[in-house]
Amino acid sequence: MSNYVIETWDLSKQYNGKAGCKNITLQVPRGSVFGFLGQNGAGKSTFVRTMLGLLHPTAGKAVMLGHPIGTVESRQKVGYLPELFRYPDWLTGQQLLEHHAQLCGLSRSQGRAVIRDVLEQVGLAGRERERIRGYSKGMQQRIGIACALLSDPELIFLDEPTSALDPIGRKEVRELITRLRDQGKTIFLNSHLLSEMESVCNYVGIIHRSELVVHGDWRKLSSVAPQVELTVEAASFSAGEELPAFVTESRLLREAASRATWLLTLDQDNRVPALLQALVGRGAAVHEVVQKQQSLEEVFLYWVQKKEGEAHVADHENHV
Amino acid sequence: MWPIMKITYREMISKRIFTITILMSLAFLLLFGVATWYAAREMNESWGGRASDMLLQKNFFSTQLLGMGLYFGSFITALLAILSSVGSIAHEVESHQIDTWLARALPRHRYVLGKFGGLTSMLVLYALLMFLGILGINQWVGGGMLAVDVSAQQIGTSLGYFILMPVILVCVSLLLSSITTTVTGGIILIILYGISFIGGFVEQIGSILGENALINIGIISSLLFPTDSLFRQSTVALFEAAEDPISFASQGIFGTTSPPSQLMFFYTLFYGAATLALAVRLFGKRDV
Repeated sequence: MSNYVIETWDLSKQYNGKAGCKNITLQVPRGSVFGFLGQNGAGKSTFVRTMLGLLHPTAGKAVMLGHPIGTVESRQKVGYLPELFRYPDWLTGQQLLEHHAQLCGLSRSQGRAVIRDVLEQVGLAGRERERIRGYSKGMQQRIGIACALLSDPELIFLDEPTSALDPIGRKEVRELITRLRDQGKTIFLNSHLLSEMESVCNYVGIIHRSELVVHGDWRKLSSVAPQVELTVEAASFSAGEELPAFVTESRLLREAASRATWLLTLDQDNRVPALLQALVGRGAAVHEVVQKQQSLEEVFLYWVQKKEGEAHVADHENHV
Repeated sequence: MWPIMKITYREMISKRIFTITILMSLAFLLLFGVATWYAAREMNESWGGRASDMLLQKNFFSTQLLGMGLYFGSFITALLAILSSVGSIAHEVESHQIDTWLARALPRHRYVLGKFGGLTSMLVLYALLMFLGILGINQWVGGGMLAVDVSAQQIGTSLGYFILMPVILVCVSLLLSSITTTVTGGIILIILYGISFIGGFVEQIGSILGENALINIGIISSLLFPTDSLFRQSTVALFEAAEDPISFASQGIFGTTSPPSQLMFFYTLFYGAATLALAVRLFGKRDV
């Protein structure tokens, strides 16, 4: 069994050579919560819909759960909550789930048990006999999540799963995702709500203007520019030639009373002890060293801006 | 395939158009029954014991009345078939309802065939009840005066042609629904049905006038969309051979003086199968 539930090689889905997603090469580790991040229109949903066979790729190839995408086998153990969740509103929640249970090949008794379970999980127990047309948006999103969980999937695609939920609903979905991850399931989470992703995702892929910028363990991606906030006695320290070579950048953040706070960028995240040693050795009176933990938002912005910068340079060179 | 058939049944039944059609169909049958009853009473009063002398007139009026009922019955069956099936796939694609179905381990051909199975079985049942309802009114309400003398074999053959019409319509409808939007598909299908409808009349007029050009227009329209020829074959089968100059199948506004050939019937079957196969193929290739 492969360690990856999704592997793609230069997967592209473009519309007349534009938009969509382009040359996506990534691996999603089994049992992870993989956050696919990008701005609106970056190509996140296009990628998911291509993986699920709703769209046909224009180039590249991909394997999902060991089978080429577009095949029935690849979707056998997959759950999906679409971004534009629409369900036949003339059905009741129970009827919708029964139909999906039948499509999953569950027997009537299996279906009943599973439906009860997923309704409990999404907090809709007791409301399943109501017609979907009477459901609020949040309830429709919950019934959508219930549908995605029906087949006891190994891989679950959740495309903006909290877009219609209130803060309590969002928290419940985050807890649900964590529970599913603990059960060994892989969650592929599409969202641009970075603060929500941060708490549940361990892996991320960042897509910008149809192209994958980077992917991997997001806490490692954040270490691309390790930084420390250093508070020292202003008179005892000045940046410049006094700093060791592994400090690649320094910037004065603030100065209050006799203390100055500097933001230092290091070449590696294990330089803090050496930095302290060097500073003390040079007579700096150190009050505080705080290793800056980058948020997912900062990681995202860093990579997107980096990509933008590269694109700008490339454009400039082309013009020259 | 069964879950898709089942949800298609549910969808059809839940639609207001279905309820309205059922109610209006019952109203039509009631009206047809009342008209038949009054016509039979009028004929009884006018001809009384001379009915055997007026056999030709009696048979003419009875077949005309039944032909009219069947024509209207086939018309509303066709409308129901068009309205219920033309958006069956297209609407689900437009609304993205289809996404969660197709994201399952469900091959697309099963989805289309499930829709086909669900729609055709419902519409065949509707056409069957409509046909038997109209014929039953003719036989029982029309009594000895207006009841058309038909054998079980004639009824069976005629019914076969009658119920095939919504099946062909569903095949074409699914093809359009697979490749285009609900509105576009609906417009194309209604125009095609109109061409077939008008073409059928033009062909019969051409046959009466001996105008080959008109007959050819009718044949071309039947080749383009062969539903009218099915109705013609249905009435010919019910009212005996049209080649017979005094056959009641050839008389009146719903008569068929230029009956479709057996080859046309096989062409119609091929037409339906080909459009359904094309629907499966094209839907399998498209993005949703």
